[in-house]
Amino acid sequence: MKKYIFIFKTTIMDSLQYIMNIILGFVTYILIIFIFLNLWQYIYTDPEKLINGYSLQQMIWYVILTETIWFGTRNGAIISQISNDIKSGAIAYVINKPYHYVIYMIVRNLGEIAIKFFLYLCAGLTLGYIWVGRIPEFNPIYIPLIIMILISATLINNFLTMSISLLSFWIEDAAPFHWIYVKILLILGILFPVEMFPVWAQPIIRSSPIYVITYGPVKLIISFSREIFTSVLLAQVIYLLGSFLLLMGLYQKGVKKINVNGG
Amino acid sequence: MLTAAKQQTKVLFLSVKYNIMREMTNHVTFLMNIIFMVLNNATFIVQWLLLFQLKSDIGGYVLSDVLILWGLAASTFGISHIFFSQAFKLPYLIMNGKLDSFLVQPKNVLLAVISSGTNTSAIGDLIYGYIIILIFRFSLYNLLIFTLVSILGSIILTAFGVIVGSLSFWIIRGDILSQNLISAVINFATYPEGIFKGVVRLTLYTVVPVGLINYLPLQIVLNFNFTSLLIIIGAAIIFVALAFLVFYRGLRRYSSGNLMISRI
Repeated sequence: MKKYIFIFKTTIMDSLQYIMNIILGFVTYILIIFIFLNLWQYIYTDPEKLINGYSLQQMIWYVILTETIWFGTRNGAIISQISNDIKSGAIAYVINKPYHYVIYMIVRNLGEIAIKFFLYLCAGLTLGYIWVGRIPEFNPIYIPLIIMILISATLINNFLTMSISLLSFWIEDAAPFHWIYVKILLILGILFPVEMFPVWAQPIIRSSPIYVITYGPVKLIISFSREIFTSVLLAQVIYLLGSFLLLMGLYQKGVKKINVNGG
Repeated sequence: MLTAAKQQTKVLFLSVKYNIMREMTNHVTFLMNIIFMVLNNATFIVQWLLLFQLKSDIGGYVLSDVLILWGLAASTFGISHIFFSQAFKLPYLIMNGKLDSFLVQPKNVLLAVISSGTNTSAIGDLIYGYIIILIFRFSLYNLLIFTLVSILGSIILTAFGVIVGSLSFWIIRGDILSQNLISAVINFATYPEGIFKGVVRLTLYTVVPVGLINYLPLQIVLNFNFTSLLIIIGAAIIFVALAFLVFYRGLRRYSSGNLMISRI
């Protein structure tokens, strides 16, 4: 365990060297939020009007917070590096190291996104406050519970993303599967809350990982309720376990396909 | 001069042909990249279906207009990334001193650089554009207009990519600046122009020329206007001239990375 804590610490120290790069990357994030601000302002002709239970202010905050989770926790390393390690054969050199490759990648990823997420959160909260004012119905007393839910959501997303990357053991390029996963997450979870979808589609979305990765955590921030918290927590426990087993299962199966030719 | 242009075009097409042949060595991956990119673009139909349920017109556009805008953005992006995908990787090539092998070639350096790679998934983008126009505006005339404005849009997009990419000759972290500006074009390209107002709208026709790449071409597809077409042709000429000017000015500042690499 000590070695993983050490890896986590060194990755954080490393990412502190690139803070300027992270801040310069804010432009795209701000731009997307700006586009949605304009879009929703156009659709909400009356700011007091409720659309599927959301006021304009809540809708903007929903998009800001889901985009913050998305931009702050996405990491090219678990998308491209795992695939590249498999494709290039570099994985043969890391599986005999005194750590588990998958755990190493999880810990490294958490170290890389910790600072990034914090910076994006600060930027998102500032932007939201300037554009639409404070988060309605937000109660700081729930912050510890929300942090717990956010960490679980990040882990589930990481496990699923890494599982897709591990498909490179069987197909050369897993990128197309990443595109589809990201787009499903984007359309069904980041851009719109579940309530915006037709009634028949809502139970499907609520039982998918989207519910626990984006919708659930953000819904708790903009309108906390004990019922939603319990249902999100329960669903997260199931998905956390399921996605971790899937990840480990794929790795165990895939690693058997490695051929070392020497040289 | 005409012969030189003809030869240069021939080299360009040969370069793209061999790029695609190289990508096709793994048929499954090649096809998957294309098919999944079509599906990837199609997922956004859900977004617009939902939004148009809330309001019948968004920024003056109806659902079919937005989907044609999407198709146009995809085909413009597709053409530029099939023929000139390296234009969008210029900062990386400049910062890592990887232009050496192009400098000793007898043909035009800029064209050789930007046509030296093809993005396979961009073929999927191009196909998606044509699927959309076939579904919503099927006629030979519309296909021709769509092709013409897509080519013009892709020329402006590529030239814009070269201009902002060449900033890396002068600026440290020019890669991030260029990436941000290109992503601005791509992000704005799929949303109706009418939702933006004032200075932002002006910016979309100047600093981030998405108006010239997508919005004006869409108006031509929906309702042909010769003046708008002339404006786009004029803009394409100006952007290309600027791209050559900025790239060659910047090239004077280029220093080799002394890397021994071979281009096959």
